[in-house]
Amino acid sequence: MTFSRRQFLKTGSALGAGALSAPFLGSRAFAAGTIDVGVLFSATGGLSIIEDSMQKATLMAIEEINAAGGVNGMQVKPVIEDGASDPKTFNEKASKLVLQDRVPAVFGCYTSASRKAVLPVFEKRKNLLFYPTYYEGSECSKNVVYTGSAPNQQLDVFIPWIIKTLGKKKFFIVGSNYIYPREMSKVCKILIEQNGAEWVADEYLELGHSEWGAMVSKIKDSGCDVVLSNVVGDSVVAFYREFKNQGLDHATLPICASVTSEIEIAAMGPEYAAGSYTSFPYFQSIDTPENQTFVENYRKFTNDPKAVTHFAMMSCYMQVYLWKLAAEKAAATEPKAIIGAIGGVEFDAPVGKVKVDPDNLHLYLTPRIAQWQADGQSKIVDAAPAPIKPLPYSAYGETAENLFCTGSGLDSTKL
Amino acid sequence: MADTLFIGLSLASILLLVALGLSIIFGSMGVINMAHGELAMIGAYTAVLSGIYLHLNLIAAIPLAFLVTAGVGWLIERLVIRHLYKRIMDTLLATWGIALLLQQAIRLQFGATFFGVNIPGLGTGLQNVSLPAFFQQSWKIGDFVIQPYRSFIILVTIALAVATWALLYKTRWGIQVRAIMRNPEMAAACGIDVRKVSSMTFAYGSGLAGVAGVLLAGFKTVSPEMGATLVVDGFMVVVVGGVGSLVGTAAAAGILGEINGIVSLVSNDILARAVVLALVIGVIMWKPTGLFNFKGR
Amino acid sequence: MKLRLTTRGALEAAAYGTFILVILLLPTVADVFWLNRFAKYLVYGMLGIAVALSWGYAGVLNLGQGLFFGLGAYMVAMTLKLQSETSMQQGADTPIPDFMAWNSQPGALKDLCCIAPGSWLWIPFQSQAFGIAMVLLVPTAVAFLIGWSIFRLRISGVFISIITLALVLLVRLLIVDWQPVTNGFNGLTDLGWLTFGGFEFDPYVVPTYYLVAFGTVAVLLLTRLLVATRAGLVLQATRDDANRARYLGYDVARYQVFFFTVSGLIAGIAGAFYVIASEFASPTFLDLTFSVSMVVWAAVGGRNSLLGACIGAILINTIQATVSESEMLAEAWKAIIGLIFVLVVLFLPRGIAGLARDIAMRLAALLGRGTPAAQPLQKSE
Repeated sequence: MTFSRRQFLKTGSALGAGALSAPFLGSRAFAAGTIDVGVLFSATGGLSIIEDSMQKATLMAIEEINAAGGVNGMQVKPVIEDGASDPKTFNEKASKLVLQDRVPAVFGCYTSASRKAVLPVFEKRKNLLFYPTYYEGSECSKNVVYTGSAPNQQLDVFIPWIIKTLGKKKFFIVGSNYIYPREMSKVCKILIEQNGAEWVADEYLELGHSEWGAMVSKIKDSGCDVVLSNVVGDSVVAFYREFKNQGLDHATLPICASVTSEIEIAAMGPEYAAGSYTSFPYFQSIDTPENQTFVENYRKFTNDPKAVTHFAMMSCYMQVYLWKLAAEKAAATEPKAIIGAIGGVEFDAPVGKVKVDPDNLHLYLTPRIAQWQADGQSKIVDAAPAPIKPLPYSAYGETAENLFCTGSGLDSTKL
Repeated sequence: MADTLFIGLSLASILLLVALGLSIIFGSMGVINMAHGELAMIGAYTAVLSGIYLHLNLIAAIPLAFLVTAGVGWLIERLVIRHLYKRIMDTLLATWGIALLLQQAIRLQFGATFFGVNIPGLGTGLQNVSLPAFFQQSWKIGDFVIQPYRSFIILVTIALAVATWALLYKTRWGIQVRAIMRNPEMAAACGIDVRKVSSMTFAYGSGLAGVAGVLLAGFKTVSPEMGATLVVDGFMVVVVGGVGSLVGTAAAAGILGEINGIVSLVSNDILARAVVLALVIGVIMWKPTGLFNFKGR
Repeated sequence: MKLRLTTRGALEAAAYGTFILVILLLPTVADVFWLNRFAKYLVYGMLGIAVALSWGYAGVLNLGQGLFFGLGAYMVAMTLKLQSETSMQQGADTPIPDFMAWNSQPGALKDLCCIAPGSWLWIPFQSQAFGIAMVLLVPTAVAFLIGWSIFRLRISGVFISIITLALVLLVRLLIVDWQPVTNGFNGLTDLGWLTFGGFEFDPYVVPTYYLVAFGTVAVLLLTRLLVATRAGLVLQATRDDANRARYLGYDVARYQVFFFTVSGLIAGIAGAFYVIASEFASPTFLDLTFSVSMVVWAAVGGRNSLLGACIGAILINTIQATVSESEMLAEAWKAIIGLIFVLVVLFLPRGIAGLARDIAMRLAALLGRGTPAAQPLQKSE
């Protein structure tokens, strides 16, 4: 983070473009051929372990865009704020970015709790948030562009695949105790029953919990043949380690995860995850020139030859470009213009071609299923044939034919 | 059944591991060390760094981490705690500040990030400490699964507890510590160098935190924030057990660990946590001085 | 002797007066963003007062002050959630908040009475007056119950800290786990605005700032008057030596319970104001970090001074915001804050208030209104 911040200062002063205007003096957007955008992640606190990489990816995209001539001829200048892993701070910093710095867009937030805390600022002040994380859905804000995946884009292919291809019949569902895993579990159960399998347990652990002895022992005694994990954060590491230490084996009883990414795999040691599965639209191992360049550039940018890339940080990178494309399409950068123009925007991202759904401002994404290998990388074993339409309310019966969230907002009578 | 007890025992050993150092420091000096978790974090990072740069495995890193954190603890005592012995509640605040400093020091790689330098093994992200292959196996005896790493943690914890007990009750230093515990002025009057003994005590307690950190690194993640939640659990164990009582701390860890294990198996982990918290409240209400308190007050 | 006391009294009155004046005149210089930010910091200032009252005056270090803050916040957030048109599921007799619709079991009756076990608790919150009454009532009742249990049992010192700490963690756990009714970890968002006589308290307008500012001033002054009463003096005597106070025939526990409850009530009011200024309530209000932060603010400001603790909270948060938003220091801000805590504890044991008092007394002495040597140093603990 430091590295890139310093680079920005350099770039900024080289261009002589308002680099000296400290944020607290109230810098103005549109001044002297630059445009300020907000970047809001946690640089401190427990979530910084993930959000740090997301911030770097955002800054890298901004730097690339500036090097290629900026947005509508203007250089982009990030105003970086630290959410400190605390919703109170997120709320305060968001209102600073929107009301004081008057940025036309903010890229940021990782957890749903932080998004919910900043949401009133963006909705009531008619500003625009780009939210990069896969999340639980059930949101239809017209002031947020959701560039992560909705539950249906992670599970619609995954669950049937586990049942049909792996031949598993009894699911043990386990997650961290908050909204996202509980919503995922709800969607899972619907899909499991539709595909003729059953679930034997649905268990939760406190967020950040790292003591898995009892839970893994329960898994062992439950008679399940597959574990569906919606565990997030550093609990993941303790989970996979305990799983192996208690003598369980992914060959016979695989963990199929909706959130375990490259970053957790690297932290736990690949030997604990080898053989398990994850469903995500993006993996570092995707073999396209766009992705290879992305991984290479990211490692250069962070000065770390072993840096891993993962889905949420890739979304951070991608969403800056989506904003740029929308700004060019609208020939303006005001939030309202972007919101009007961004529907239908397409981009060749590291994850493949993505498109913003004009109905709900989520992305069309291609779900992929990968198996973790002994080297800490994934091998993609299956993928949807084409990008899938995002359905943020799929847990309540939303389908592509019967949309709950449309351009005119949420139809709450359908809930 | 044996499985359940074993899980409870391993939970208890972690609790005791964390609480042991706190118990010494809090029990003998009255210092509420909010940076205890961060000292464990420093211990874990010692294991990470010694793995990367010295190619030491986890077990070899234990004595090294003990020395490093004991050194850090000694420094903290000399620079800050020493000046607060007359204002013991303030140690809580000062060590809270120290905890923030230590976290940020690791995150900023001791300032190296300001020069654009990246030190592998430090920084914001998660770090990986790999276990020796031996610890990754498991053996089955009938239905009972023996986990070498858990067993190792339990053994180390017992060894540390016994060593601490021996230090306190069988050595000259221990007698001095216990004298200071009862009455620091009287101890000083009898010719005990209270300052020296206190800094040694603090360093020893910190060293124990470091060992805890290394062992924790073997089954959870290493990150700058990993210590933040440890101190709360450790503190509860110490208070429930009775301040200043090593036996009490061990017993409290055992009871809380087993109850946690049993409830989470019978019901779920969330309820288990709630039960443990309620139990802590109940015990203090019922016996405000803790389950085992031999200290006359 | 008498002269010195009046000097002190005058200085203190001047300090209170200046502080109140600054707060009330702030809208003439600050823009809406800073007003909103200061409204939040004034709320933190109230928390500082609550801590100073229980820690400085009663000698009770409550590490779970966030419990009352959280309760006050949730009470007002519940009623405001039900005022928010956008977040209600329309078309029912008793419309339910959006999150209940998606947290409920499939097929549950979509009515506030029975969509989830306990959701009926929300029904009376349809009245804003009820919600506000609960802000005052619930934290008070909970604080009273806790205080009554611990002080009757003569629990003291660090044991109170551990009980309150365990309690706040326990309640946090329950709120997160009771997701169908509380929206769990995400907390309550998309709230309506507080409405009085047709006026809506948008968090970014001047009247909302004044609402919080008047609230803070009222809390500050009333608490100051309260500690000067006989009851307040008995409380301080208890802090210094509980047994002696008992010998003198005072029912010590009664005083302790009373002030513990007042402290809880202040924190509850603060929670409610915070929700009005920030438009969300979250279980992170009950995080241990937050509760410890409050104690630190009070310590930096001066735990023996209500005004000092209040200013300490405002000051630290302002420093925190400025440092974390300056490009030079952004990365190191947490280290800087940590260092400030350590240095203040080491060198300013009585906090900023103590320092200010000493300086003011010296100045007053120099100006010939007292004897230079007569510097009333208080006991530092």
